[in-house]
Amino acid sequence: MKKIIRIDLNGRPREDAVADNLLLIDYLREEVGLTSPKKGCDGGECGACTVLVDGAPRQSCLTLTVTCDGRAVETVEGLAAGGRLSPLQRAFHEHLGAQCGYCTPGMIMAATALLRCNPRPTKAQIRAALAGNICRCTGYVKIIESVEAAAEATP
Amino acid sequence: MSEPMPDFVLLRPGSLDEAVADLERHAGSRFIAGGTDLIANLRRGLVESEVLVDITGVPELSRLQLGPDGLVIGAAVTLARLAAHVEIGRRYPAVAQAAEAVAGPGHRTAATVGGNLCLDTRCLYYNQSHWWRQANSFCLKYKGDTCHVAPQGARCRAAFAGDLAPALIVHGAEVEIAGPGGRRRIALEELYRNDGAAHLTLEPGELLVAVHLPAADVLSAYAKVRVRGSIDFPLAGVAMGLAPDGGGHARLRVAITGTDSGPILLSCLDEPWAVPPDSASLARLDKLVQKQVSPMRTTTASSHYRRLAAAALARRLFSQLAARSEE
Amino acid sequence: MTPPKARRAAGTRVPLVDGIEKVTGRALFTADLAAGDALVGRILRSAASHGVITRLDISRALALPGVEAVITGEDCRHPYGVLPIAMNEFPLARGKVRYRGEPIAAVAARDAATAEKALALIAVEIEPLPAYYTAEAARDAGAVLLHEGKPGNIEREVHHAFGDPAAGFAAADLVCEERFHCAEVNHAQMEPHAALAEYDDARGQLTLHTVSQVPYYTHLHLARCLEMDASRIRVVKPFVGGGFGSRTEALNFELIAALLARAARGRVRMALSREETFITHRGRPETDIRLKLGLRKDGRITACACEVVMRGGAYAGYGIVTILYAGALLHGIYDIPAVSYDGYRVYANLPPCGAMRGHGTVDVRHAFECLLDRMARRLSLDPFAVRRVNLLQAPTRTPNDLLVNSYGLEECLAKVEAASGWRQRKGRLPPGRGLGLACSHYVSGAAKPVHWTGEPHAVVALRLDFDGAVTALTGAPEIGQGSSTMVAIAVAEVLGIDIGRIRVVAGDSAITPKDNGAYSSRITFMVGNAAIDAARRLRDVLIQAAAGKLEARPEDVACEGEVFSVRGGAQSSLAFAEVAKAAIAIDGPITVKGTFTTPPEAQGGRHKGGAVGSTMGFSYAAQVVEASVDSDTGEIRVEKVWAAHDCGFAINPLAVEGQVQGSVWMGMGQALSEETRYVEGLPVHASLLEYRVPTIAESPDIEVAIVESNDPLGPFGAKEAGEGALSGFPPALVNAVADAIGIDLDELPLTPDRVLEALVERRRRARLAETRRAS
Repeated sequence: MKKIIRIDLNGRPREDAVADNLLLIDYLREEVGLTSPKKGCDGGECGACTVLVDGAPRQSCLTLTVTCDGRAVETVEGLAAGGRLSPLQRAFHEHLGAQCGYCTPGMIMAATALLRCNPRPTKAQIRAALAGNICRCTGYVKIIESVEAAAEATP
Repeated sequence: MSEPMPDFVLLRPGSLDEAVADLERHAGSRFIAGGTDLIANLRRGLVESEVLVDITGVPELSRLQLGPDGLVIGAAVTLARLAAHVEIGRRYPAVAQAAEAVAGPGHRTAATVGGNLCLDTRCLYYNQSHWWRQANSFCLKYKGDTCHVAPQGARCRAAFAGDLAPALIVHGAEVEIAGPGGRRRIALEELYRNDGAAHLTLEPGELLVAVHLPAADVLSAYAKVRVRGSIDFPLAGVAMGLAPDGGGHARLRVAITGTDSGPILLSCLDEPWAVPPDSASLARLDKLVQKQVSPMRTTTASSHYRRLAAAALARRLFSQLAARSEE
Repeated sequence: MTPPKARRAAGTRVPLVDGIEKVTGRALFTADLAAGDALVGRILRSAASHGVITRLDISRALALPGVEAVITGEDCRHPYGVLPIAMNEFPLARGKVRYRGEPIAAVAARDAATAEKALALIAVEIEPLPAYYTAEAARDAGAVLLHEGKPGNIEREVHHAFGDPAAGFAAADLVCEERFHCAEVNHAQMEPHAALAEYDDARGQLTLHTVSQVPYYTHLHLARCLEMDASRIRVVKPFVGGGFGSRTEALNFELIAALLARAARGRVRMALSREETFITHRGRPETDIRLKLGLRKDGRITACACEVVMRGGAYAGYGIVTILYAGALLHGIYDIPAVSYDGYRVYANLPPCGAMRGHGTVDVRHAFECLLDRMARRLSLDPFAVRRVNLLQAPTRTPNDLLVNSYGLEECLAKVEAASGWRQRKGRLPPGRGLGLACSHYVSGAAKPVHWTGEPHAVVALRLDFDGAVTALTGAPEIGQGSSTMVAIAVAEVLGIDIGRIRVVAGDSAITPKDNGAYSSRITFMVGNAAIDAARRLRDVLIQAAAGKLEARPEDVACEGEVFSVRGGAQSSLAFAEVAKAAIAIDGPITVKGTFTTPPEAQGGRHKGGAVGSTMGFSYAAQVVEASVDSDTGEIRVEKVWAAHDCGFAINPLAVEGQVQGSVWMGMGQALSEETRYVEGLPVHASLLEYRVPTIAESPDIEVAIVESNDPLGPFGAKEAGEGALSGFPPALVNAVADAIGIDLDELPLTPDRVLEALVERRRRARLAETRRAS
């Protein structure tokens, strides 16, 4: 069965007919063509598919698209407004918060949610906010440094 | 192997009555809220359901009321919301700590109190792909006739690993249940039975509406052991409520998750315990825990470890809460 | 007036040249490629551990509407395997299956649901054979052989002795022997395996996009398995989500995707689940080590004897190399006059093991650094002291004829000793908290590749065209380690140009020169040298042109900061773009090529297996781990790590730090929480919930100190930085735990249950002793 849903996706309103069983990750990747949410596991274990739903981090592989009807969904593609990197994107790039880059979109989205409600987080708060996102390359050290640098760069 | 999402119809009722009616109308349908447990299981072919009833649109289920007489937590309140509530953290610390300790942040923004209380039981032989389970002739919990954990036994030994239940139990929680037969309220511990394949006492068509907690009258805390600092389910989780009598003694309430098919409310705690505890009473508590939990080999960590760890957490919480009671 | 000092590229912190794509979501990984109407490929996997396929009927699956192709072992009769001397695996099983999860058949269908349905319609019957899940069981005298001609199910035995071990042990004041057990681990790179195969039937051409670290080897195997001319094949490596060795050989799913695409005469998209990615495996094998060391009172090592048994899984893969590495890399870090080594690589009915970061050395280094620490304790020697007394002097050759050309271990030790406050803090930490030290090393590229053809080890091509942009073409697979950035820096440094002028194109067989791939930490050393060579050749061309314009002798022309000028004559200079134009005007757009070939003296000894372990330069690392142990729950908390790494020269210090942190941390995963587990050959760990890659919550700060020993052969003096520090972590942690609670643990990983068991056992013994005293 399909339902018509209205989603504000990265700041742009959309209307789509989606099947009830369509996962948000598949909607974004297959139907919209936003491939930044990644599949790293077989369901809800790695955080690579993290997006924001009404500003809160959510695993898009555990979210039914129809439950996002009337909500705002954000992916990392939406962060570079007008082509300008967000402070977090810039910091992850400059401080090597991304190595292979596969966990990076999810990681940046989780960090984006954090900085919006807590612009000056402590290391412990950064750890807590990113604790659902697995990275296999960095050992997380430079990810924490990236978030700290982004916080400092944000007035 | 990755299975495609099974087909289903999602109903999104706006009221509790509608939700109950939706479920009654469609045989084999199920409630879904945050979906963090159910969708993972759907994707692994552990659940077959042609109709899912999404209850997150029912306003009554999302209420969170803290008053002088106690606390009411709607079943669809998210764990993130519960964990972030400062006053709940002050009065019912075990509850907030348990909510904060569930999985990862991306789960907690979706996962609900009701979902965590009704979390499916877990087992190494169950939480696997369809290919895996088929290669292993399935198991007693689902589609098979043998429990690979205890092949001689007649029941499924899958373990309940919800973090919230023990924390709520030590605060004397009751759950409000709605169903085709109307509403009822039971002590939270009565929601469970020790059978991994049917660990909830809910009747067909029933759902959790809310958790009711009396005014906080105990000091409480929750602690869990797991291999990693996040994401993992508890190998053992212990909640303790401690009510000092002001005369050097206290009443204890201890509930344990992760070890059995439902949370265990520790019995034989009736006598007041001296605070601060001496080593003999810590040893006595340790023994009580070890005797009353019965973890089986449902996780890669040994069952013996989970028993010892549960006892160790209980001892530690007792010492910590006793120290706090004297502040 | 002195001119402003030109900005150097090498040695500065350069963000990854492909980093912007990664932070904006524009980086396209294999599963992200627009596949249009591609068919969905799915694999039928064996439910049996070991057996003979007695029936395989695909007719019902083929008849299902929407199914475009079904293939089986009949469709490929050529075995494959990364080592030409040990190819014994088929993309799809032929005749026999040897592990649960082994591919038997594959389907290409219009969608996933149809493909799944088709798989269920394939009838398979397997006559079971006895299955073995431990090396011990597989080696049993009566065991059925997994592969013919391999008695005892032993793939390879190695028996090496260098120096006089018996005399060495006789001369020792203390001889100790201990056993260690290390669980099997997996790379768990974040990107699950995926491939997109397109067969152009009209042209008879195949294009494969895949997650490979070794597109060249995959290319060779595609030609072999599909019986195609290599010229009709193109292999493209898109963004790759990590490797760590999991993709350093052609893998079955890549060959299957290609076979399916050809059978279906179209495009097939294959995306493996996380479970299938774990089953594809190629991880570090379960390893049992028996190690004996002889030490003099002053800590000097007199002899070492080591026996290693590896459970290698069902097929050969890199097995022979792994078992040889384990012995070879006993050498090259300390001055040990006599070493004997006995290695056994054993087949078992489990997914095949392979190369994983720190290939071959990690578990043996673990045993060595633990035992050395324990013996030092018995001799009342400080862990730093016992290591310092055994240091090498570079340049030198080891008893097994490995070249040690540069050696910064002494400085590494000094750095971590100071940074960790070892002298002030060791022995003075609160109960349950401890410090541990370990050292490690690794090769900077294997001096002899597995396919020995005699051609250069690495080639980089540079193009310069009318736009003044320099395009570097390299086959070196960028998989997140920063290899493309390294190439850009090397070229910019030599040409004296801005890095923004350089584009790096990597990993497309239609465009880029052949490269052996991203493994054995070879890229910086080999490709870096090739890039430097190429850039020098381009510089020569440009300087010729500049000299003509400046009317100077070429040897007097210098290029710095994108300006060509005559040395000593500051008045006349030319901008890079002008010189480029002038150079192109002579002979059209410019293409040059640089190469690197390993010198013969680096290629190892003449004994059998002597090439394995040989390298142009070893990296060295030392690390101190501070850890605390919860004696009630057995939980270990890593508080902090100080790591020093001798990478020769840090071409990109930012990337070196990232690599060292990643290595140390991956060692932490193996030490703390990661292990595979099988139930009768079924993986119970095949998810990111049960395979416990550390989360950020329990991951410590890792402070990195870079040591630069300036290797004589390294590019700008550089050596590897991405593997060497890994193997130091597990022993440093075990040594820290011994310092914290006084218990020596012999089994990895140190999960809470293992730690608590050891604590309980000690309490039990103490009680027993007390009871005995009382009675």
